[in-house]
Amino acid sequence: METKAVTNAKLLAARRRHSGWVHPSKPWGAIALFIGPVMVYYCIFVIYPVLATFYYSLLHMTPTGGRIVTTFVGLGNFDRLLNDGIFIQAVKNTLRWGVVGPALEMLTATTLAVVVYFRVPLHRFYRTAWFTPVLVSGVIVGLVFRWVFNVDWGLLNVALRAIGLDRLALNWLGRRDTPLWCVVFVHYWATFGYSFILLLAGLTAIPEELIEASYIDGASTWQAVVKVMLPMLRPTFVTVLILSFMGKMRAFNVVWALTGGGPMHFSETVATYVQTLAFGQQSLDLGYPSAIAVAWFAVVCIGVGLLNRWLSRRVEQ
Amino acid sequence: MIVAQRVGAKRHSTWARWQRWIRLTLLTIVLLAFTLLVIIPFIWMVVMSVRTTGEILNDPYGLPKTVRWQNYVKLMADPQIRFYRYFGNSVFASFFALLLNTILVTMGGYGFGRNRYRFRGRGVLFTILLLSLMLPGQAMYIAQFVMMSRYGLLNTRWSLVLLYAAEAVPVSTYLMATYFSQLPSELEDAARMDGCNDFGTFWRVMLPLSRPALATVILLNFMNFWNELMLALTMVTHPDLRTLPSAIMYFVGEHGADYAMAAASLVVAMLPIVLLYLFLSERFIEGLTAGAIKG
Repeated sequence: METKAVTNAKLLAARRRHSGWVHPSKPWGAIALFIGPVMVYYCIFVIYPVLATFYYSLLHMTPTGGRIVTTFVGLGNFDRLLNDGIFIQAVKNTLRWGVVGPALEMLTATTLAVVVYFRVPLHRFYRTAWFTPVLVSGVIVGLVFRWVFNVDWGLLNVALRAIGLDRLALNWLGRRDTPLWCVVFVHYWATFGYSFILLLAGLTAIPEELIEASYIDGASTWQAVVKVMLPMLRPTFVTVLILSFMGKMRAFNVVWALTGGGPMHFSETVATYVQTLAFGQQSLDLGYPSAIAVAWFAVVCIGVGLLNRWLSRRVEQ
Repeated sequence: MIVAQRVGAKRHSTWARWQRWIRLTLLTIVLLAFTLLVIIPFIWMVVMSVRTTGEILNDPYGLPKTVRWQNYVKLMADPQIRFYRYFGNSVFASFFALLLNTILVTMGGYGFGRNRYRFRGRGVLFTILLLSLMLPGQAMYIAQFVMMSRYGLLNTRWSLVLLYAAEAVPVSTYLMATYFSQLPSELEDAARMDGCNDFGTFWRVMLPLSRPALATVILLNFMNFWNELMLALTMVTHPDLRTLPSAIMYFVGEHGADYAMAAASLVVAMLPIVLLYLFLSERFIEGLTAGAIKG
């Protein structure tokens, strides 16, 4: 009996500690123990580098013999950036990609997600197969597609010649106009499965009763898709679109392995340009690439903010 | 199921059923063709890796007459190539980064997830943590490079361990915190009555219960660490210390004309993830879906 009373008292005390109206002392020791390490680690290896990059963007930094010599140049780097033809080319390329890439991805991934949602034959197989490229490193994807686009014996040109389109069998990665679109396509190929899976998860989360109800009201499958499922999918759609856009803005692996930004910067993106400037063969300065990274971060933030605002406003209507 | 209900809902004439069957067949053909487009580069790569470059150049799309495993043997055993080093480096970097990250984020996720540890400003801290999901790697890796060079960690695999573990903190903490926040607080009370302090409660009761979330986090992170290229290229330039992604970049660059060997190196780099995926495909899909947090 006595033990039970004690237990009850302990239980009450424990409960009271959780409830709002008594002000127990916070378990600060435990808080520090649990949250402290991860926050400290995160500040050292993420927050500090970000702030440092902002500072570096105001400097001229030359690594010489293990030491780094810095001179303060103020906003000089940003001024230089506006007159840098290659940078402007890289921005144009990346923005083109940021428009075309997500559009292509959302269109096909949504269509496929709707189709697979209706559990067509083999739907589990499709799901697994389409997701495979997402898991494989962009480096491998890029290198394999170097062969796919090979002029002489690449998969693409062999296929084109086989159907009599010899005229279209171009040197895909060696021209002025096609390399960027090769990058767009390969990255699409490597990532559409991800958007597809997220959209499919969004569709699955829609209560089935709603769709059934629309059938009972006499809707055809097509009407159920357009009038019920797609509107309900909207929040997921917006999230996936933003993720897809951000993915394109920062993509590095695929581009680096496929074209390295070449030839002659025709497929240069901001990510590869920063890498080339900062750690390429003749890199002399870490300040200027930092300025690019900072400027680009701002641009991407604005882009995401605009997308978010624009799309969520249309939801309210 | 919905398709089935649709079929049952109306009485279909034989003709309508035929129409339906034809439509489904056409759809299946289109989808299978699309699926073929998705996986054919992989199949081609694997086939190339068991042929010789001579055979490939004669007939790029022929099937191997004899399966030549010696490409793989040469890749691993040839004293000039010794590809297993890179495999080992990747294992090293991924393993220790996972270990470090898991320790940090399970405790962090517990602290952020449980009501008991709520304090003024915790939400703000958590938001700061999540905001960095917006950050592209380019916005920090130059400074990370300078930091590593300052502390003499450039050209060590530990630099990758430290940075990978940091890079994965936001998503992993988020996933763990979400999971921990859903466990009932009666568990905490019970553990306390049994004489557990805060850490004991975490270690003996809550952590074992969080195994599903932990598995997801580890799988997601392993995939990202194994595939990472940018930091691997930047922090480690010594040929002996490269991880697989940067090693295959150089390998294909140097042995570019030896397509069979190059294909074999790609297969080796991809193998662990693909094998895991074959056995755990649902977990992978679940993990990556959970890891998608709106930026």
